Amino acid sequence: MSKKRKISLSEEELVLSLQHREKIAVEALYDMYSASLFGVISRIISDAAIAEDVLQETFVKIWHSFSSYSTEKGRLFTWMVNIARNLAIDKIRSKDFKNQNKNQEIENNVTFIDEQRNTVYKPELMGIKDLVQTLKPEQQLIVNLVYFKGYTHVEAAEELGIPLGTIKTRLRMAIQELRKHFN
Amino acid sequence: MEDVKAYIESGILELYVLGDVSPAEKQQVEEIALKYPVVKAELDAIEQSMEFYAEENAIEPPEHLRNRILGSLLTNFSDDNNFPTPTHANRDNVVPIATPKKEKINFYKYAFAACLALLIGCTIALVNVYKRLQLSDTQLSAMQAQNQHFSTTVSAKDDELNLLRDTSYKLIRLKGTAKSPNSALTVAFSPSKHKVIIDMNGSKMPVNDKAHQYQLWALVGGKPVDLGVFDATADSSGFKNMKAIAAADAFAVTLEPRGGSANPTLSEMMVLGNF
Repeated sequence: MSKKRKISLSEEELVLSLQHREKIAVEALYDMYSASLFGVISRIISDAAIAEDVLQETFVKIWHSFSSYSTEKGRLFTWMVNIARNLAIDKIRSKDFKNQNKNQEIENNVTFIDEQRNTVYKPELMGIKDLVQTLKPEQQLIVNLVYFKGYTHVEAAEELGIPLGTIKTRLRMAIQELRKHFN
Repeated sequence: MEDVKAYIESGILELYVLGDVSPAEKQQVEEIALKYPVVKAELDAIEQSMEFYAEENAIEPPEHLRNRILGSLLTNFSDDNNFPTPTHANRDNVVPIATPKKEKINFYKYAFAACLALLIGCTIALVNVYKRLQLSDTQLSAMQAQNQHFSTTVSAKDDELNLLRDTSYKLIRLKGTAKSPNSALTVAFSPSKHKVIIDMNGSKMPVNDKAHQYQLWALVGGKPVDLGVFDATADSSGFKNMKAIAAADAFAVTLEPRGGSANPTLSEMMVLGNF
């Protein structure tokens, strides 16, 4: 499927047509957001097949509980990414997943540390633009832990051995940087 | 306004956008955002930049997934059941995730509570059973006592019947004297067996006091012979064996000091009967 055939609507149009449960809205929703959501899910779940399942569950949940979203609460994507992240974290904390991955724990940790030091280039991250210039490494690390790895800021503080206040400050500074970069 | 600025700088809005706030904090942020457009604008900017960041980090899912997911959403498109009903329309679907550790503690909490309830239940049941056991024990000992009483009575009645069937026994009815006209006593006497038995059941002797006792005499050739003492009580029953004698002309009962006397006090003669 080429990029040209993808459907794109403005957020207001999309929300409105989703509320009217129009068929085209579902397709637009998928085309506009599946890659961003899959990016988040894939960073929490490394197994591609399970990540794909979670992406499907995410869309099903978005579709079925769309009436609980309102534009007053914030942007559509923020709401959806929370659903995706929670489903992904639920999945990796579930019993099945844990049993399945018991033997890989050490290996995963090595990968994780390598990732942090940028010594490994993961093939699935090949399409990602380089943001190293935008964020300082320690800022990127925290943003990625919380946004992509599903850590709470408390867990991130414990993981990195940094005071909670510092975590919050760095997170805010990092997002300030991102805002400068994108706006 | 200062407060709002401090609120923005606290970093809570960033955590909110990252989905890292408690339900209470979430509600608070949403309320404040409604109240202060500055906060709302700040939130929007943060959300937008995170959205861009996610876009920058996007991973294109495999193409086959598009059809699979859209298929699963649209298959039941016309199915009314698929549409959220008003009952769960307003429900918040973002639920904080309980960590597995907490679940384990919860499990033990419930297990402990269940054990405690079971223990209490067992104790109550045990107490009940114990009470019943005690009741049964009491009933059983009462039954045993009753049974014993019956067997004693039956064997006494047996003896009485045997005595009555025994033709060697003669029944002598002692009648009240002038001193005590209403008194009466039956004596069974077997000369061949040398036995003297008095029937306490049928006796109509006045109840004696503690200082006195009745004494049975046999008149042999005009001389009184001691045949032993007995008490007359309100509930005296059964047969009573007295001292043995081979022959007697008559029987008499006198009231004597407790333990009996060597010679009968004739003034105290209660009943008399000839053989």
